[in-house]
Amino acid sequence: MWLMLCSPQDLPALWAYRGLKAQGLEPLELVADGTLSCSIRWEHRLTTKDTLIDITLADGRIIRHDSVRGIINRLSYLVFPQLELGKPAERDYASQELLAFFMSWLHAMPRPVLNRPKPPMLSGQWRQISEWVWLAGKAGLPAAPYKKSSRSLFPEQQSYERVVPYGTPVKTVITVMGTPVDSSLPQEIRQGCRLLAQLAGTELFGIEFANGPAGPWTFAGATLFPDFRLGGSELLEALKSILQGGEK
Amino acid sequence: VNPMVLLCGIPTEPPLALVQNELNNLNIPSLTFNQRLFKEIELFFEISQGQVAGRLNLAGQSYSLEDFTGVYTRLMDWQNLPEYKNAGANSAQAAYCRVLHETLTNWLEVAACRVVNRSGPMSSNFSKPYQAQLIRNEGFEVPETLITNDPDIVRDFWQQHGRIIYKSISSVRSIVQTFEERDMERLDFIRWCPVQFQEYIDGINVRVHTIGSSAFATSIDTKVTDYRYAHRVEDGSIETSVFELSDEITEKCIRLSQALGLDFAGIDLKITPEKRIFCFEVNTSPGFNFYEAQTGQPIAKTLALYLSGS
Repeated sequence: MWLMLCSPQDLPALWAYRGLKAQGLEPLELVADGTLSCSIRWEHRLTTKDTLIDITLADGRIIRHDSVRGIINRLSYLVFPQLELGKPAERDYASQELLAFFMSWLHAMPRPVLNRPKPPMLSGQWRQISEWVWLAGKAGLPAAPYKKSSRSLFPEQQSYERVVPYGTPVKTVITVMGTPVDSSLPQEIRQGCRLLAQLAGTELFGIEFANGPAGPWTFAGATLFPDFRLGGSELLEALKSILQGGEK
Repeated sequence: VNPMVLLCGIPTEPPLALVQNELNNLNIPSLTFNQRLFKEIELFFEISQGQVAGRLNLAGQSYSLEDFTGVYTRLMDWQNLPEYKNAGANSAQAAYCRVLHETLTNWLEVAACRVVNRSGPMSSNFSKPYQAQLIRNEGFEVPETLITNDPDIVRDFWQQHGRIIYKSISSVRSIVQTFEERDMERLDFIRWCPVQFQEYIDGINVRVHTIGSSAFATSIDTKVTDYRYAHRVEDGSIETSVFELSDEITEKCIRLSQALGLDFAGIDLKITPEKRIFCFEVNTSPGFNFYEAQTGQPIAKTLALYLSGS
């Protein structure tokens, strides 16, 4: 089976879940973040040769490590309401332990896992916008100079996610396993997206562009949680193909 | 312009102080980003076409960021600085403290010089079983491990191995304990949160510090399950000495550090009487002063030279 891990409010993920099922990717199980965090049984074995992890969900489903063929992972963070009754110090400790458990679980799952976790994030390596701009420059994507100063408490109307002012329209190019899913991209932008994916080591993410100081394809930011709907059927086909390819 | 080393943290903290001392002995110019003096520090950087440039203003002088050959970070949580707390969380000083540290940590991720260590690689021990999978990829043995909230399979695991230990799996520090009969009474508590159990590995503890392509190994001989807390128990004596690693194991340790993206690492090994080598975990910001004081190994000096670009 394949898994879609997401929050129940993650509309792009729910759209992709329905779309992938409609395209015949079965069995595809939707596991909501709350369902996962309130699992009732965990068994994680690690030896020099193998890793085996089984999780029993409260709704009776069992996720066996060896029965999963691929995952779309949209987990940003997990909360554990079952720990609310604990003392604050014990609650914090247990939350850290559970997050560490799920980190290991996601890393151990058979590929493809889009995205594999990178501590401390469950959904791939989180980066500051400054690091994305740096990587985009190295990838040859057009990017405006980025400035950061300890004296700028509110740096030039920039958000923490984008290098363009709030409200600037952006175009998102979703990149899956190093390939931008947008056949209309200019060749040099396509090549830059490929290189950025390689430098970032991130399986699935969105690269955002805006009409800015470096031209109509000025790098604006990157996100681990792109809106899948923007990729349309072309993205669904790419995801299906990669998920069916399995571990290589 | 002379190459410079930047030390970040609290100057009296032992690892930072040891490296500072060695930099002085070697006549390598250095600067200290003393977090407690955050009000007197300014930092600026710019990224253009993948290149990074900027300036650090400190104690009335201005330094180009491109002149730093290496940065050693031992940053404490800025929210715990007395000067931050005294300023009040909503004060302008507190806001400045936050932005300064944010600017510093942003720069460290993209700085062209050696950074010991960058924050991404330092996060691998956020999850010990996650890190154990990376360790295993580099050819080390790892102890047989069970993480569960099911008491029944813990009983089976205990029966299977005879002697097992338990410890945390996150980066929250815990004292490694041997599982004993009296623990059976509270075993049901694990239903709330999975707990890590491991087969007990008999042998000699060896801490390996890797710095770039150098490695220093210290053996720690003790009867205590967790030697870091030996002082707390009766008969908690430990004996430390320089340990000679084979070339093969030295290379393996260096490869492991590189695979984790760490310029400086503390690798915890256990070598059994049968010469099997298990790796328990990798400390991504090792406090090496204890081992240097016990054995006289030149860890701080090697780190100082590494930071200078040697």
